[in-house]
Parts: sequence; C-alpha cells; structure tokens
Amino acid sequence: MAASGLFDRLDQWVDRKLPKSSFFRFVAAHILVPFWASRTSIKPQPGGPRYSVQAGDNVQRMMNLIMPLKDKSPVGRAFAALAIAENKDEIYAGLDNVGTVHFARFVIVDDNICMFSVYDGDFTNYIRDFIATIGSVFDAVVELVEGGEDVLPSEENVEKFIDWVHAHDLYQVPDTATDVLRDQEAVNGDTTATNDLRKLPRDLILQLRANPNVSLGGGYRAYPGYSVAQVRQKFGIGW
Amino acid sequence: MDDLSLAKQLVAAIKSDFPDHKEGTRPIHTIGVGVDGYFEPSDVAKNYCTAEHFVASRVPVSVRFSNGSGSPVQHDGWSDVRGMASRFHLPSGAKTDLIAMTLGEFFVRSTDEFLDFTNSARQTRIRKASPWRKILDMMQFKAPQPDPYPGQTASSDAGTLDYANKHRFAQLGVFQAGTIGAPVSYVRAAYHAVHTFIITAPDGVRRPVRFSWKPVAGVRTTAPDSPPVDVYLQQELKERLDAWPARFLLMMTIGETGDALNDPTVPWPSHRVRVVMGTLTLTNVAADQAAASERIGFNPCRLVPGIEVSDDPILLARRHAYEFSQADRKADLCPFQRS
Repeated sequence: MAASGLFDRLDQWVDRKLPKSSFFRFVAAHILVPFWASRTSIKPQPGGPRYSVQAGDNVQRMMNLIMPLKDKSPVGRAFAALAIAENKDEIYAGLDNVGTVHFARFVIVDDNICMFSVYDGDFTNYIRDFIATIGSVFDAVVELVEGGEDVLPSEENVEKFIDWVHAHDLYQVPDTATDVLRDQEAVNGDTTATNDLRKLPRDLILQLRANPNVSLGGGYRAYPGYSVAQVRQKFGIGW
Repeated sequence: MDDLSLAKQLVAAIKSDFPDHKEGTRPIHTIGVGVDGYFEPSDVAKNYCTAEHFVASRVPVSVRFSNGSGSPVQHDGWSDVRGMASRFHLPSGAKTDLIAMTLGEFFVRSTDEFLDFTNSARQTRIRKASPWRKILDMMQFKAPQPDPYPGQTASSDAGTLDYANKHRFAQLGVFQAGTIGAPVSYVRAAYHAVHTFIITAPDGVRRPVRFSWKPVAGVRTTAPDSPPVDVYLQQELKERLDAWPARFLLMMTIGETGDALNDPTVPWPSHRVRVVMGTLTLTNVAADQAAASERIGFNPCRLVPGIEVSDDPILLARRHAYEFSQADRKADLCPFQRS
C-alpha cells in the first residue's frame, strides 16, 4: 500500500509538476534541444506565404518583416522611429500607388524595426512596386538594419533587395498541425522524422529552434478571398 | 460490390470497433439528445443557394447532439468527437439533413481505406504508462500517452496512431481526434459537415461548398487535467435552454478549383470566401426523446433541390450505410426507403 501511494505521488509529480518545473525547462533548453537538434536535421523554413496558384491564396497575403537594428539602444530605436515619421507622406502616397496593400504598419519590438502588411498578388512584384514607389523610405530604414548596407540603394539592387526582404519575412506556420511535417519534408527531404505523430512536439520544437520568430498560422480574415481592388470597387471609393 | 453489401460491411466494421455495442442502437454516436429549434437564413443566403431553407423566412429544425462513441455507456467527460445532426422541416413538407461533427476533417478518403482504418481502430487493452516511461517520453519531446480514464480498460488510440503513421492522409484527423477533449456544453463546440456539397444559386451558378456550425456562445472544452464527469452534457443543455435559447451561425465556405473537392481528409485553406448562411436557434430539449434522439434517422445525402452531393466517395457511401443502419436498428425509415 505504501509503495503504491509512493508510486501514485511520483506519477502525479511527473504528470503535473515536472514538465512545468524550472529544472526540466533548464534541462530541455540546454541539453535536450541541442541533443535532438544534433541528431535531426531541421533546416529553417523560408519566410512568407507558400506558393499557390489559387486565387484565394493570392489575396490578403501577409508580410511580417523583422529587421534587427544596428544600434540596439533607445537612440537606435529613436532613429528608426524618426525614419518612419519623417517619411509618412511618402509612405502613404506610395502605398496608395502600389494599390494592392490592405494594411501596412511599422512596429518596433525590442531592437527590431518590423513592417507588417497584408497585400494581394505576388511577393516579388509587391516588393518591386515598393522599391519603385517608396524605395527611398525603405533605404532610410534598411540603412539602420544589420546587413542592410549590402542591398542599398534598393533601386540599383532590386533582385538582391527582394531576396533580402524575403529572408527577413517570417516563416508562416501552417494552420493545421500536421502540415508542419509536410513543410519539413519539403525543406529537409527527409521523412524519417515525420513518420511518428507522437514526435510532432519535437518536430515543432526543433523547427522553432531553426525559425525562432514565426507567424502562427495564416491569420484570421473577416472577408477572406477579396482583393483591395474588389473591396474599393464594391464600396465605390475607387482610386 | 453492390451498395447494400458495402453498406452492411461498413456498418459491421464500425460495430466491431465497439465490443460492448448494443443491438438496436446506433453503431456510433450512440448516446445523444434531441433538441427543437428553428433556422432563419441570412439576407444573403438566397443569393447563393435556392434550397428552401435558405429562401424561407424561418423553418423548424430538429437537432440531435451526440457523443462519438458506439458504446452504450455514457462518458461525456472523455475526449471524443461530438456530433450535431440537424433536420430542416421545410414549408413544402420535404426534409433535409445536415450532419456535422467537432472534427474538422475525416480520417480516410475511400471506403476501402475506411475498412482498413476501422480494422486498425479495434480496441486493445491499455494501461497507465509508468512514470519512468513518461519521463523517457518527455526527454524525447514525445506527446505523452494519455492515462486511461477511471474504469477504462481498452482504447483504439494505439491502432489509429499506427494507421496514421503509415498513412499520411489520416494524420490530421487522428491528431485532431486525439487532442479534441470534451466540450463543457454541446452548444459550446464548433461542428463541421466535412464533405463538399454543390449548391446552385438563382442565376444557375453552381459552387462547391462546405458547411460549419459556429456556436454563438463560443467554443470551450473542459480542463484536461480535471477528473472526467461521465454524465453532464444532456442535463447542462436542458438547464441552459430552459433559461435561454442557444444559437449557432451556419457558415459556408466556397471552394476553389484546386481545393480538395472530393477528399474529406483535407481541410480547405482558411482564406476561402466564407458566407454567413443563417442562424440556428435552439429552444428546448425535445419532450419525446425516444422519437427525437433514438428513432430519428438522419442521412447526409437527404438533400433538396439547390444542394447536391459532390463525388466524395465517403459521402456517397454514407447514404447507403445510414439507410442500412437505420433499418438494422429499426429507426424511422428515411425518405429514400419510402420512395
């Protein structure tokens, strides 16, 4: 009876306390994750929405650019804020001219300047249009970002600039859990790690090690499937 | 194989997964409760579909909520798929059904796969994993094996997991079913009709669509760490409806070329055009449960002009399987059998 009681207490401790304990979290972060990462090849996933020819997948697409600032101080963040504030008219006029952007905003998170936007159509065309319409604003921001000097000025480095933006766009984790496995197969070409559903937590942990910043799912849309042009036309607000 | 033989085989396969199945009851979704209510289409519904219930101002509806298991023993608090079968009583006297469940996708794509899956899903004895096994799993970042519920001695989990690990199309359904939990109320869960239907608009445009019921009260499941309560869902529903009606929005997603139109294992992307087709208001638990929950026989293919089945093999097979099952358990005959 005493042995059974002890066993039950151990069982409850393992179920309820151990996974949330600081001890386990330390072991997981410093020993288990590096160990499993060394045994399982999980490459970083590319950023941005996945390729699709279907109409519904090519409207209201997300861009989540996370760009680490060179100057990681309040002064550095202030310079980033200033770069946006000084060019507000240019940004808004440029976005109106691009014509495929639903929403766009700049955000500072810690030492990153971020641009989050929702746009219609092809990613490369979106960035190409951006360079044409507000390339100088982008240059002013990218100049403050680590590695940004390699792609400036954007007008003279269009393809390189597009690749650079794509590299800073967040991986969009699929809406359905098991599609994470399909993404891993697409990039790693190795299916052995994805043949056991019980290992899905490990697959996800290792993917989040390779892609520390991600967008969780495709996001909610109140009126999915409609482009900027359709919305503006329907409401009679034109261009 | 003819339709009747296949239907018999499918029903027998389901029954084999529940050793304590009681003859004369449904082979799955055995425990349920019938509810009365009415459906009011949205202003835009008639622009998409000419079916009577999307054109009329209000139609009475009979709903049966259920637990997914084919066991006659009630375990409301166990993690399980729940069902919501709805019958629309139309002004013309016709009836049409919409059968939905809390799982967003099905496990298999064809009847052959279904028979294989049910074979894999036979219940096997289970016991609680040792703490050492659990620690080992934790060190491998493997999903923990759930402890058996009090009194539970067998489960289909091992078989379905093995099937999913060998068949990718089943992975999402098995994963979602394994983590689905128990709702705090039948009206606090979202229900999905899973299959594709083809609707016709007044201008003759035909669209592939999928339907889901979204609860106005919101989705909420019980705390997974709490001890499960075996009997609460029917009483909770009665008390709730005695105090206030419960509502669901009928959401319709329009598919595109390239979407899985005949494969219920694949959910459509969340970015498809979505239309609010109407509101279901549930008013009371039906007084005659023998009729409203036990004798009533639904069929996902009982449709009216304006809605047609797609060529989803599972949907098509369900018509005959449900007919056979209803005759087998001596339920009220459905219109297909009367005609």
